Amino acid sequence: MRHQFSIDLPVRNEWANVDLLRTSILNCFTAVFNDVDGCRSMAMVVGELLENAIKYGAWSGDERGFRLKVVGEENLARITVENPIEPTDPTIADLMATLAWLQKFSSADEAYRARLLEVAATPRELGSSKLGLARISYEGSCRLSAEVDGKMVRVTAEMAY
Amino acid sequence: MPVDGLSFGDLTIEAVDGGQGPVQLFWSGKSADRYPARILGPYFTAVLGQAARRRAIVELHFERLEHFNSSTVTAIIQVIQEARAANVKLVIVFDQARKWQKLSFDALRVFVKGDDLLQIRSI
Repeated sequence: MRHQFSIDLPVRNEWANVDLLRTSILNCFTAVFNDVDGCRSMAMVVGELLENAIKYGAWSGDERGFRLKVVGEENLARITVENPIEPTDPTIADLMATLAWLQKFSSADEAYRARLLEVAATPRELGSSKLGLARISYEGSCRLSAEVDGKMVRVTAEMAY
Repeated sequence: MPVDGLSFGDLTIEAVDGGQGPVQLFWSGKSADRYPARILGPYFTAVLGQAARRRAIVELHFERLEHFNSSTVTAIIQVIQEARAANVKLVIVFDQARKWQKLSFDALRVFVKGDDLLQIRSI
């Protein structure tokens, strides 16, 4: 049976929607696949990407929404979250730097452990651990990429299943 | 005085504490708050303070937890650091049959040192 699927949703930037969608994705894919652990990983990836969109998106104007896409073809799922940004916002440079940093490690496991030690060594800042991308790469076994398109950023996690 | 439990959002931490022996804290539900450290931080400061006074071990049981976000991982790292600073032994217990728990908690072994103040074990 071929598992092709596509979910494309506009999402309001409210924190409660993260868990609503994470749980919905978990339930949807549990209905499709036998692999419960894999479904949980996919739901975790969705949750972390949505959290980042809400935390770091540019929400000062009229913009109140962003987009979640989950596409599956053959044995690869592509999870993309697209949200508005201010192109000069330092969080975009941080995002790109984090993705480049992750690629310096020989494994996602090694990168995640290094990130944990960095978090421990960094002064506390509420809600900004920047651990999510490393977690997606490690626990979700995902390949991460990001592109800026004008006033939007698109972060994609590719997961084999 | 026995340690109290905690409930906020979809997360419940049930405390089992007879006033003597280890303080056992059973996590269940989900920890998906945007700022979990805002609630977990002061709670664990109080728990660790009581445990330090009684020289009690604190056990964190995650076996029944369904999900946590990465901000909760950060909050747990802070608990590990605070426990070590207070000279309180912390034991973390997880369910290795759950892949997400095995991955999450195995990685936290980077904080295990030779001082025996942190133990991470699976069931």
